[in-house]
Amino acid sequence: MKQNLMGDEAAAIAAKLARVKVISAYPITPQTIIVERLSEFVANGELDAEFIKVESEHSALSACVGATATGARTFTATSSQGLMLMSEILFVASGMRLPIVMVNANRALSAPLSIWCDWGDSMAVRDCGWVQLYCENNQEILDTTIQAFRIAESLSLPVMVCFDGFILSHTTEPVDVPKQREVDEFLPPYKPRYALDPKKPVTMGPMGVPEYYEEFKCMQQEAMRAAKEKIVKVGNEFGKKFGRRYKLIERYNSDDADVILLTMGSLSSSVKELIDRYRARGEKVGLVKVRSFRPFPVRELIDALGHAKAVAVLEKDISLGSAGALFIDTAATFINVEKSPLMLDFICGLGGRDVEALQIKEAIRGAARAAESGEVRKAVRWLGLREKLVGLRV
Amino acid sequence: MKEAPFPDSLVAPGHGACAGCGCILAMRHALEALGKKVVVSMATGCMEVVTTPYPETAWRVPWIHVAFENAAAVASGVSAALKSLGRKGVKSVAIAGDGGTADIGLQALSGMVERGDDVLYICYDNEGYMNCLSTSSLIITKDGLKKITEVKEGDEVYAFDKKTHRPVLKRCVGVFNNGNADIFEIETLHHTIRATPNHPFLVLKRNGRGKENQLVWKTLCMLRPGDQVVTLKNLDGGKSFKFDFKQVQRGDYKVTHLNEVSLPKSSGPALMKYLGIWVGDGWVRSERGEVGFAIPNGSDERENLVKLHSALFGIKVRTDDMYVYVNSVNIARFIDSLGFGSGAKNKTIPAWVFTLPKKEKEAFVDGLMLSDGYKKGNSSRYVSASYELLRRFRLLLQTMGYRVGKIHQQKKRKGEKCVYRKLLKDATYGYICFSKRKRWNLEKYQSQYKYQNFLAGNNHFEMEKIRKIKLIGREPTLDLRVEDEHNFIADGMVVHNTGAQRSGLTPFGAWTTTTPIGKVKRGEDRPKKNLPAIIAAHGAPYVATASVAYPGDYMNKLKKAAAIEGPTYVHVLAPCTPGWRIENSKTIEVSRLAVLTGFWVLYEIENGKLNVTFKPPKRRPVVDYLKMQGRFKHLTDAEIAEIQRMVDEQCKRLGIE
Repeated sequence: MKQNLMGDEAAAIAAKLARVKVISAYPITPQTIIVERLSEFVANGELDAEFIKVESEHSALSACVGATATGARTFTATSSQGLMLMSEILFVASGMRLPIVMVNANRALSAPLSIWCDWGDSMAVRDCGWVQLYCENNQEILDTTIQAFRIAESLSLPVMVCFDGFILSHTTEPVDVPKQREVDEFLPPYKPRYALDPKKPVTMGPMGVPEYYEEFKCMQQEAMRAAKEKIVKVGNEFGKKFGRRYKLIERYNSDDADVILLTMGSLSSSVKELIDRYRARGEKVGLVKVRSFRPFPVRELIDALGHAKAVAVLEKDISLGSAGALFIDTAATFINVEKSPLMLDFICGLGGRDVEALQIKEAIRGAARAAESGEVRKAVRWLGLREKLVGLRV
Repeated sequence: MKEAPFPDSLVAPGHGACAGCGCILAMRHALEALGKKVVVSMATGCMEVVTTPYPETAWRVPWIHVAFENAAAVASGVSAALKSLGRKGVKSVAIAGDGGTADIGLQALSGMVERGDDVLYICYDNEGYMNCLSTSSLIITKDGLKKITEVKEGDEVYAFDKKTHRPVLKRCVGVFNNGNADIFEIETLHHTIRATPNHPFLVLKRNGRGKENQLVWKTLCMLRPGDQVVTLKNLDGGKSFKFDFKQVQRGDYKVTHLNEVSLPKSSGPALMKYLGIWVGDGWVRSERGEVGFAIPNGSDERENLVKLHSALFGIKVRTDDMYVYVNSVNIARFIDSLGFGSGAKNKTIPAWVFTLPKKEKEAFVDGLMLSDGYKKGNSSRYVSASYELLRRFRLLLQTMGYRVGKIHQQKKRKGEKCVYRKLLKDATYGYICFSKRKRWNLEKYQSQYKYQNFLAGNNHFEMEKIRKIKLIGREPTLDLRVEDEHNFIADGMVVHNTGAQRSGLTPFGAWTTTTPIGKVKRGEDRPKKNLPAIIAAHGAPYVATASVAYPGDYMNKLKKAAAIEGPTYVHVLAPCTPGWRIENSKTIEVSRLAVLTGFWVLYEIENGKLNVTFKPPKRRPVVDYLKMQGRFKHLTDAEIAEIQRMVDEQCKRLGIE
């Protein structure tokens, strides 16, 4: 049934449909609506779950770890500074292979203090061993969150569902909300491999001496590799049941394009709009949208981008001292591949700045010029920067 | 561990806590009081580290460790999950040390209590956080080679006599468990040792041309590759080891068939060589009463073995193409009892082999070489799948004056030859190379050799250059206190014994490594944070203090707390023998004195109402408690009087005379 929902509401409803048993979350803009809606659901009896009103994000994720380890399906949500505060436990949760699902409303990191959207927060923890899936619109938020529980529980890996703060979290869009019965058929109750149960005692979180630590990490990496197939499998099944199919990446008019834009999240919608206009004029431009950032879809990107002459990566983050994270991983993908496109990195939209059509056109122009000349003079550029303020030409 | 006093405890014996540790007592009593239907969430700390070195665990109840500061939060999550899953009768218990509670863990605890979560929180308070040698270190004692975790107070260990430069036996006066710390690894040509950055080593100090060089103590963080440290070269002397094995007689339970055999009463060269062969190629099935050797027909090794066997035991052996079998319950059980371990990956060299005279050690080495060793040019090589065996064999060779290299790894595929047989499946082996040392002509080149090696001519020690110093990571650490010389030999290097850090619960006046006794500041200058009062102020329905010297009181309080649905807090004072500088046998006495002097009062606060559960009949002066502990021995009379005043005030507040 179609409802008009904000992104935050879609996430809350997805958690409700997934019948989570323990919610442990601390409010932070722009995720607060998720926490508020979920407490309403619990207070009204619409959702049979325990809501722990934790006193910080670090405790929020810690409580999730305890709850999931005990055998309950758990859920939490955060953003930016909250994600940073719980970052110690992110690594513990993935190292302990606990299938926690968290939604992260992408928000820029302090300093300077910002409550607006960019991907700096989830990018800062891209090494933590959580699956990271990015959503383009509110429908995807709802669908991906439901799928996240299936993916997490079958792999014993925690999953982070990311979406743009304010742009999606506080924007109302029509969302098709599936029926509880249908979701129950798609997502059965959580059956843990191991649980903290006096009937069968286990010890979780021991010390890993040098003789064992490396093997644990190798197994985590292996699980991440298996996650690629699992994400596609679950996405297919979801498609069969609910009519919307999901994969690791999405191609939009890119199969015959010389210039391809690469991006994630809500920015993809803006790019698609422009591509339609370019195609109408007869120009061969395309988009590849990355849905799964971790695990990184190496094979799929080689197939999708290999034939292009130039790829322009549009991203709302920068790994300070290097380049944008999406660009770095994509460039690494092609390092030993013979047929590889020229690549350009466009940093845009930091701290919630609007990414306008003019900026995207500039990126397309930059890529087209590179495709024509066959060389890239400056790989990393900033879009929409007020150059007079910084006195630089970047 | 058949002789453990509490073999069925829910905290299984075999963990790494020091002898006399107060905290592990607190854990055992707690689980005895609470029973099996609990889920324990523990913070990083002494107790977590000594009980869960993967792949082993001491916990017979569900147990989870997440991080240092969040035991309360994790336990809150567990409690919520138990409630949501309808698991009635299972209690969520959080356990943390004083650091993980009063300092970094205070926020999570406060949140848990404020929310009213159904969790029993136990704080084990040893008044600080503690450091030293990695618990994997091997120490040479009078009884042979021991893991540092096995060394007890009163054991005699080999130390370096600074005047005569000879090895001497000195008594160990304390073993200290210092929790987790950053560990560095020092590598010389023949030795490796792991220690914390503040651990002192005996190094050579060159004082320049014409001046005498000398040996000085330097901490690890001040050492550089190229510095020379004192290492052990040779340790001889030793007596044959007397066995204490009770033979099985005909007519004993389940013994119907028995081959009469006389077992040796003490070790000797023939037996040691036999055992050397056994370690490499033998196994024991003691239920079947069978000893076997995988030695193919026609080999040198088999000839040697059969000859030794008839000389030692007299009874016949059964042979086929690949194997030699001995059917004797007594021989099987005898070999089993000697401590060499079983299984290719788990064989080891027990401590007593290190105490043998040189001739017997040489025979043992001969036996080992016959089975899994071979000569390559001038050096001998020994191959094994057991890392522990290689490690100890290396140390044994070093005490015999051999030159031994590092342990190398070798991967072999199925079907490849290893020594002289084909492998059944893929395997990873380790090997070491060793050779006899060349004798230096000291008379001819005296000054040159003296320059090269400060201890040239010394039969037992030598100087070795440090080749590499690298950071290993965080590991549990232990230290020994040795009388007089204040040094001991660990992993073949001469090391010093040392010291511990403060927490918010460190009492006023106590020495710790971060509150040392100096000219300007003397020990901890802040009073103990009153955690029970803080938690009571939150409105928790039940808060109590306890002591490991009063286990009945402690366990009653735990049972009471567990029965309440809501946040409850029990704070148990548990001495740490190295941190408090007390003898391992004095844990209970010191704990009792803490209560009898009023320094630690046993009470409970139930819904805001205070009830002292033990009033000392005649309160003793606090100096009786303080003087038992090394961490307070620096106190002046004035300082002791100040502490007495604080204790008097506390007792007045709590209604005790």
